[in-house]
Amino acid sequence: MRGVCTRSGSLSAADFYASAIYFSQRWNETNSDFPNWVWIPCSRLGAISEDEGYLVLEKVKLQTERNDSNLEELNNCDSSANDELTDEATLVDVHSHYAHLYDLHIAYSFTYKVPVLYFRGYKSDGCHLSLDEIKEELPSHSVEILQKSKWTFMTQEEHPYLNTPWYTLHPCGTGDWMKLLLSSTSYGENISLIQYLPAWLSVIGQTVGLRVPLELYSRS
Amino acid sequence: MSSPRATESPTSDRKVVVHLRATGDAPILKQSKFKIAGSDKFLKVIEFLRRQLHRDTLFVYVNSAFSPNPDELVIDLYNNFGFDGKLVVNYASSMAWG
Repeated sequence: MRGVCTRSGSLSAADFYASAIYFSQRWNETNSDFPNWVWIPCSRLGAISEDEGYLVLEKVKLQTERNDSNLEELNNCDSSANDELTDEATLVDVHSHYAHLYDLHIAYSFTYKVPVLYFRGYKSDGCHLSLDEIKEELPSHSVEILQKSKWTFMTQEEHPYLNTPWYTLHPCGTGDWMKLLLSSTSYGENISLIQYLPAWLSVIGQTVGLRVPLELYSRS
Repeated sequence: MSSPRATESPTSDRKVVVHLRATGDAPILKQSKFKIAGSDKFLKVIEFLRRQLHRDTLFVYVNSAFSPNPDELVIDLYNNFGFDGKLVVNYASSMAWG
């Protein structure tokens, strides 16, 4: 199968590769605040492959309720141990204690013919976050999408290349909403291909608190 | 074909015309064009749609093949993706499980 299929919202493996390379280049150019996306060449058979692999963005801090909440709220939470509310050192410690980091991988699903997000979260001591702990700190908008939409829900699956368990947004609904996004434009096949991953990430990113810069969507 | 840019008035005073478009089998609003402050977040548009349609679960996206983050400012979306003096916002039903 070749090309982006706007009727089904899916794309071929070769076009996933092309879209991934183009997307990562644009992201890395425009998003200096963030680490770069890196393409890892890998095939399911274990050999190095020219056009099969996955994208990784590692050790990133995502938008969370805790990051966005004001420091006064955090202080009130912990004031049971300390009546003084103006200890600067305490505020800094509390804030860094909550700095969780995430690894995000984007791989191609040969079954559903769409991209899939695999992710893991870590505490400051390197321990993995459980799914409950991850959900606890998601922005409220993300939690709503995950709870209410039939198109995006989290499960745990084996990473297709690393053979370890990762959390993932199940790809079964992806075609449905990618269809809507692609049909909202008058893009020809080439532009649909290039814009496929940014379009996809605009939705998936919201479920995990990853903000996509608007520049990735501007047609310049 | 005009490419809108907010050069003449301060961002905080600028009102943006938003045109809400139903797609798929989503209900069509009686009134679909509204003005909103440019300094408001896109979240306001999403919440407005939810209240008007009595639906929590909507898939909301713009004509450039993406779903804006609710924290984006309406004026930024309009400046980059507006056309013909308005920002077109599409919505579809994203029904809950059950």
